[in-house]
Amino acid sequence: MAENANMKRRPLEGIRVIDLTKIVAGPNCTRMLATMGAEVIRVEWHDNRALDLLRMVNPKAPGGDPESLNRSGLFNNINPGKYGVTLNLSLPQGRDLFKRLIAKADVLCENYSPKQMESWELGYENLREINPKLIYMQITGMGKSGTYDGYLSVGPTAQALSGLTHMSGLPEPMPPAGWGYSYLDHSTGYYGAMLVLAALMKRRRTGNGCYIDVSQTEVGIITSGTATLEAQLTGKHTPRRGNRAGVANWAPHGAYPCRGKDEWIAIAIHNDAQWTSLVEEMGKPVWASDARFATAESRKANEDDLDSKIAEFTRDQDRYELAKRLQARGVSAAAVQNAADRCERDEQLKARGYFVPLPHNEIGMWPIENFPAKFESMRVEVGGLPGRGAPTMGENNEYVYGKILGLKPKEIATLQEEWVI
Amino acid sequence: MSTEAILSSALEGITVLEVGDSRAEFAGLLLRSLGADVILVEDRHGSHSRHVGPFTTPEPHPEHSLCFSRYNLGKKSVALDIGNPAAREAFARLARKADVILDSGEALDVVSRAELYREWRKANPRLIVCTVTPFGLDGPYRDFLMTDLTHLALGGVMMSCGYDSQPDGTYDTPPIAPAMWQAYHIACEHAVVALTAALNFREMTGEGDFIDLSIHEAVSTCTEVAMPTWIYSKALIYRQTGRHAAESRSRPWLRRTKDGRYIKAFMFWGGKERRVVAEIMSEAGIEHDLNSDAYKELAEKSPSKAGAHFSAMIDRLCENMTAEEIFHKAQAKGLLWASVRYPEENIEDPHFKARGTFQAIEHPELGRSLQYPVSVGTDGHTRVTAFDRGAPRLGEHTKEVLGAAGLSSAEIEALAVAKAI
Repeated sequence: MAENANMKRRPLEGIRVIDLTKIVAGPNCTRMLATMGAEVIRVEWHDNRALDLLRMVNPKAPGGDPESLNRSGLFNNINPGKYGVTLNLSLPQGRDLFKRLIAKADVLCENYSPKQMESWELGYENLREINPKLIYMQITGMGKSGTYDGYLSVGPTAQALSGLTHMSGLPEPMPPAGWGYSYLDHSTGYYGAMLVLAALMKRRRTGNGCYIDVSQTEVGIITSGTATLEAQLTGKHTPRRGNRAGVANWAPHGAYPCRGKDEWIAIAIHNDAQWTSLVEEMGKPVWASDARFATAESRKANEDDLDSKIAEFTRDQDRYELAKRLQARGVSAAAVQNAADRCERDEQLKARGYFVPLPHNEIGMWPIENFPAKFESMRVEVGGLPGRGAPTMGENNEYVYGKILGLKPKEIATLQEEWVI
Repeated sequence: MSTEAILSSALEGITVLEVGDSRAEFAGLLLRSLGADVILVEDRHGSHSRHVGPFTTPEPHPEHSLCFSRYNLGKKSVALDIGNPAAREAFARLARKADVILDSGEALDVVSRAELYREWRKANPRLIVCTVTPFGLDGPYRDFLMTDLTHLALGGVMMSCGYDSQPDGTYDTPPIAPAMWQAYHIACEHAVVALTAALNFREMTGEGDFIDLSIHEAVSTCTEVAMPTWIYSKALIYRQTGRHAAESRSRPWLRRTKDGRYIKAFMFWGGKERRVVAEIMSEAGIEHDLNSDAYKELAEKSPSKAGAHFSAMIDRLCENMTAEEIFHKAQAKGLLWASVRYPEENIEDPHFKARGTFQAIEHPELGRSLQYPVSVGTDGHTRVTAFDRGAPRLGEHTKEVLGAAGLSSAEIEALAVAKAI
């Protein structure tokens, strides 16, 4: 690095975010804001309504107290660089303290069920009275306005409704494969962050905050590409195509078995030159000169046979070695990597500093996945202002209630005794 | 609903010069949706996506690609071949008027332009540059040829998506790449977070930045629990049909419904869910024994057998009702279920109509409009983003934009003679 990172300034310097989010979608939004240098303060409590269940989810750091709320590896990966406080919003004193925090904040992010905050009289209309410059980001499954405001959702629910589940998988009669994780928890976090950043830009000009009601399902709809458009054009429903290309005569285009258990290579041929290179790598087998595979159109028309032939070839190959040889011939090919591959074998991730070792107050030093870009001027660090992984429960009560709100140690102790913090 | 949107002026006054291939077109689209003036610089044959289907006309035509129109709403098009030496000065003058240069493509192409951008940044430190390349501008894989499919393979997404294994743990189906350019979506969402952060940074410091974004790293960050499971437990997760990949086999979420569709019956497998399912079945007159003493006894003696029986009852419920009936009844009673919709089914859904998720964009070649997904949120009344016009024709704004950059009519004519525009 040409310059000392510590001499650089963070893009969200001076911005304070109150983080009332749970699980992954909301916390991913505030993770990005923390990475960009905002002071993100997670507000949590121990009861089921307020506790982030992610704190109890496996995998956990080995050893220690298995009942501890501070050992989840997923929680650590999703919440680095944030401060953490405990606060009981069920109590009036808790809500009063929360309002004092809001008065000193720039952004509130929350992903409670749609009407929870209003039931506490902490909805946007209440909070803007306290702080008109507040940017209030609410993330729910369906979106709060509209006709589904009482509906509940997690990532898989939103993925199903949006169309993303249907679109992923082999053609009928196979069922949808869908996404094997809550993709929309990730994506909605990205949208949440970009909309907060855009709202901050607008606030610089207008001086006003705003309320943003983000729908996870709408994020799924907007990432459905051209599917909704094509269906309007053709009058036919969006099909599933497996790994095959639906937009052009690109074939072969798929994942093919390799030597080893559940080992695969992805190959994407986009033109005749790449096809010729693939045929050469396969040793110019006789079948490849068949007229059925002579042009892009004919390869596409005979894709079932083509895929079978390619798989016959790849089945005895090492996926990394074959990918390397195909890349050398100008063919887009890659090993289908699992997490172990990416951690242990991916030289690119290693070389670019993708895994950032960060300390954690209870579980020690663990690698955290970095923001996927390098910056020359800005200080962008996944460890954020505190320079560490996720906060333990209530780790920063003294800092937040003492330094930011100005409470005396005795007052903080009383609040703790009264089960407010 | 009008084209009014609460954040469509957030980046007002910001000019983005978008160059390279189509990999970052979604980032340009998102920046345009937030109010930036996005100038797409295409060569005379048009952006790569103009040649990718689906097309609105029977024959492929660069003005009739839905792939292009989907990702380029509201942008301006300048047909300028920046690889032509005669275009160099015009490109530099465009850059002098720009706040952001967004460049995407294979690293070898982008690296050659990156040096130019660094020179321009010396003259104009406020300039923000963001390159979006397969692996970033350095590292051992930098020059590998990648596509959306091979990114989803190498980045780990595919290894979590697919179908159940055989009982012996072997797979007879490949890992699945979820459809519709998701690797590029993920990368572009990160690019927009980085760029909006950089715009905030520039407001504060007066300084721009050079952002080197890696698509591979972006995709890698988007695999949820897969990476922590390896890092903390040295364990892998395995693909499952229509539900999350996991270390061990879990019960299904995906159920076939009476109308031949699917419901995503997301479950925590708790007592509340059993009571609600029993209630829905009773109300619909579907026979069940979920409230019987025999079932309660089974649940006490063998939770696993009771779970399997409960799962079979859910199948029975779904076989007797349509997907949409189940979706609304289950949600009304607090279950996190959703029908597995085709994405286009959401266009006519009253909830998304009320929220302005879709916006009509005119297609003169069709003599009608198509509904485009444009917004992921509201402020309770108005959607967050919208577009004031459709995608540009190739070179539609060439003279206007070059003129505004200070080129005379004679200079523009000279570019035409040199076949640079």
